[in-house]
Amino acid sequence: MEQNKEMTAQESLQLIRETMNNSRKAILRNSAKYFLLWGTLLTVMSLVIYFLWHATGKPQWNFLWFVLPAIGYPVAGMMRKNDVAVPQNEISKMLSSVWSVFGAFSVTISVIAICLVPMNVSLIIVVLMGLAECFSGALLKNWPIIICGFLLGVGGAVIAMLVNSEAQLLIFTLGGVLLALTGLIMKFQNK
Amino acid sequence: MFPKLDPLLHSELRLAVMSILAGVDEADFTYLRKQTGATAGNLSVQIDKLAAANYITVEKGFQGKMPRTTCRITPDGQEAFQQYVDALREYFPQ
Repeated sequence: MEQNKEMTAQESLQLIRETMNNSRKAILRNSAKYFLLWGTLLTVMSLVIYFLWHATGKPQWNFLWFVLPAIGYPVAGMMRKNDVAVPQNEISKMLSSVWSVFGAFSVTISVIAICLVPMNVSLIIVVLMGLAECFSGALLKNWPIIICGFLLGVGGAVIAMLVNSEAQLLIFTLGGVLLALTGLIMKFQNK
Repeated sequence: MFPKLDPLLHSELRLAVMSILAGVDEADFTYLRKQTGATAGNLSVQIDKLAAANYITVEKGFQGKMPRTTCRITPDGQEAFQQYVDALREYFPQ
C-alpha cells in the first residue's frame, strides 16, 4: 500500500469498505478459536463425567465440572497472550461479555445448588446456554446459530425434565458440539 | 461543487489506518502492518503524520519483553474521518 497514490472518491470509499471488512473478519476469525476451545472442553468433559458416572454409579464425578473453568480459563489466557496483535471490536467484545455472564451464572448457580438450595442445575444451565448461543447468533447475524441456540435451550430444558440426571449430561455434550460448531462457522464465514 | 477532501486522509495508507482504527478501541502496530500490507518504515511515517494532526494517539510500551506500539483514534480523528466519509458520499448522489 502506497501513501501517495492518487485516489478517486470511488476508490477511497472502496478502500474504506474493504479495510473495515477485512479487519472485522480478522477479529471474528480470532474470536472463533475461543468457541472451539470451550466447545471441545465441554464436549470432552461431559462425556468423561457421563462415562465415569455410568461405570461407577457415583454422581460425585459431577465435581469434575469445576475442572472445566480451571483448565479453560488458563488456556484461554495463554491464547490471548499470543493474540496481542489482534484488537477487539464491538462484536467480539459483546460475544466475550455474553459468554462471561453465562460462565458466571453457571458457576454461581452450581455452587448454590451444591451448598445451599438443591435445584435442577442442568435445566437452568442449558436454558442459559441456549440464550447465550441465541445472542451470539444475533450478534453474528447468523440464523442457523440462533435456531440451534433456541433448540438447545428449549429442547434441552424439556429433555432435562424427562430424563435422569446421568443422561442429562449428554445435553451438554450436544451444547459443546454446538459451541464448537459456532466457532467453525465463524472461522469459515470470515475467511 | 464537490466538497474538498481532507488531504491528510485522502492518502491510501493513512485512510486504511484510520478505517481500521475507527472500528476498534485500539490496534497494535503489528496488526496495522499486517492489515495494510505496508512496510514498517512507511507505516511509521504515516502514523506519525496522523498523530501530529491529533487524529490518533500513539502509545509505546512493552508486552513482556517485547516493545509494543498501540494506536487509538481520537475524537478529533473520529470527526475528521466521519466528515471525510460524508464528503465522499456527496460525490455519489443517491
